[in-house]
Amino acid sequence: MSNRTASKTWARRVVTVTSVAALAALGLTACSSATSGGTGSGKKSYTLGFVVGASSDPFFQAMKVGAQKEADKLGDKLIFQGNATTYSPATQIPIVNQVLALNPDGLALAPTDPTALQSLVNTANSKGIAVVNVDSQVSDLSKVISFITGDNNDGGEKAADTMAKAIGYKDGGSYQVVVGLTSATASTNVARLDGFKKQIAAKYPGIKIVATGYSQSNSTTANTNINNWLTEFPKLNGIFAIDGTNATGAAAALQSKGLTGKVALIGYDAYKTNVDLIGKGVFTALIAQNPAQEGKDAVDTLDKYLRAGKKATGIDKSVTLPNIVLSKDTSAADLQKYTYVQNG
Amino acid sequence: MSGSSPVKTKSVNGVVDEPPGVPRERRPSLPARIAGNQASLLVLVIILLVVLFGVLNPIFFSLGVAGNILVQWAPIALIAVGETFVIVTGGIDLSVGSTLTVSSVIAAFAMAGMTGAGWPDGLVLLIGTLVAIGIGALVGTINALLINFAKLVPFVASLATLGAGAGVAVVLTGGGPVAGGPPSAQGLAVPWLGPLSWPAIIVIVVVVIAGLFLHKARFGRYTFAIGGNAFAATASGISVRKHVAKVYILSGMFAGAAGMVLYLQLGSGSPSAGYGEELIAIAAVVIGGASLAGGAANIGGTILGALLLSTLTSGLIIINVDANWNQIVVAILIAAAASLQALRGIHRRKS
Repeated sequence: MSNRTASKTWARRVVTVTSVAALAALGLTACSSATSGGTGSGKKSYTLGFVVGASSDPFFQAMKVGAQKEADKLGDKLIFQGNATTYSPATQIPIVNQVLALNPDGLALAPTDPTALQSLVNTANSKGIAVVNVDSQVSDLSKVISFITGDNNDGGEKAADTMAKAIGYKDGGSYQVVVGLTSATASTNVARLDGFKKQIAAKYPGIKIVATGYSQSNSTTANTNINNWLTEFPKLNGIFAIDGTNATGAAAALQSKGLTGKVALIGYDAYKTNVDLIGKGVFTALIAQNPAQEGKDAVDTLDKYLRAGKKATGIDKSVTLPNIVLSKDTSAADLQKYTYVQNG
Repeated sequence: MSGSSPVKTKSVNGVVDEPPGVPRERRPSLPARIAGNQASLLVLVIILLVVLFGVLNPIFFSLGVAGNILVQWAPIALIAVGETFVIVTGGIDLSVGSTLTVSSVIAAFAMAGMTGAGWPDGLVLLIGTLVAIGIGALVGTINALLINFAKLVPFVASLATLGAGAGVAVVLTGGGPVAGGPPSAQGLAVPWLGPLSWPAIIVIVVVVIAGLFLHKARFGRYTFAIGGNAFAATASGISVRKHVAKVYILSGMFAGAAGMVLYLQLGSGSPSAGYGEELIAIAAVVIGGASLAGGAANIGGTILGALLLSTLTSGLIIINVDANWNQIVVAILIAAAASLQALRGIHRRKS
């Protein structure tokens, strides 16, 4: 074809592709932006930012469901964001920056690192944006009106107790366990490991943690870590998977090596897929938090604070939700109740 | 054809009149001219995106948002510019993500030590930057040695350093970030001159210099020569091996500098900081109009490609689109850009 026709075809293609991309972006907003809260009730509608770690993690998905429900009920607008796949401050910081640029009235933040996110919390404060921490915390809680989390220390202790029972701990015996974590900096992971270690030191000194590893909320990485440990430690007694993505990776590793029932697996977070595996004996126990409740409380606290004219009266500075141990002995009703709710 | 009366032809964008006396071949339509120059096309697409996002949420037009976009753009622009040099030679540097991480982490250790010893912030940051760039140069040297002496193709060589670098970062840090550096570090990443932060300003200066280097200086001409035809380049007296080594070291240095920029953003050296950044850098270079076969690239295109990517990421957050869609849209852009580049190549061969 002649040069001009070729150029026209090519220009046509450019226009097509650009329009497709633009329309796609437009379509995506229609599909996935949060519905604005009920108007017409005469009540003021607040805009609340909510930034988590890895938004694909069912833990945070359940948190989103709880938060969205509460925002809809209160008539507030919720902007829920978080890197799709990676739990890290490098990916979370740009997102928090952009959400803050939207000038929300409040921000619920699950910080991936207590120091890296501290300056952003300070910035939010100086802009008059109320901040709550959910799940994990920044180092300086004086800038935060409330910190809502599960009782991670207690969860770690409960995990130690359950682990000891599952491996048939006897005084004088020597046992090996490994611990899979998501992040060295998330305060949740740190607290759970602390609780676990303290309980072992106090009541089960024969248990030794032979390896720990990190997976940044990536189940595939967790799976690789645990596969390697299973090979490295043929006499391994138990695995403590400190969060849901590690639990998923660990369950897959055990099943693929046919070690179900031979190695005790204590996991965290009641993902539906993992809860089902309790019945199949893959998981000895799952420690369930209540992320939907945490999301609900975060939105509720921000709304209360803002409606009271930014006064902290009647607001709990620290809310700690208890963890539940789900095992073979848990009733079906309770299993259903504590499984993390997912988007429909 | 001169002297013939004007012929009205329809194009997709409307009726185009032929001015009398001008042969058809020498007058490409405006859309074709824009499409012929990747950089101008990118400007158009960026403007379209900005308008789109602004219409969907007017807060997009604020200085704060622009500032955020530039803060995100700065490290991407740095590694993409380094990567451009490499891609022009027909090679590829997959290691830049890990190089960023390792440089950031080692510089963090150095700075923590200096701050702990009571040295002034400014000096600590300066030395930290030099350390980061130095480590980047070191990784680049390893790449060059693998390519020149171990005879590995660039893809394999840089893949190896990518993996090794990531591993080294985790081993050195134990998985957690390295803090303890100058307390004023994070403040430097904050925009102060309108949307411009210190990193953004410095990066703009650096990439302009790099652009002149690639397109005007002899170093750049040699780079294009090697990418166009390495054989001919050797025949004309260029020491290809030496030059290739320099290019990979340069790429490493840019990645090291980007590591320092991320250090400022995070206030610490994080072992996960550069994860996946190599693909973003290559995407920026491809969107900028480079040919992965070598010999064709444009620093302006790369810079705009990086700007397009950061504008897109920020915009999708501002209009509250689920983060997962970001990757799909970026993939469409890369495909479109690469397709255009291929068509342009066929176009040139036919004319």
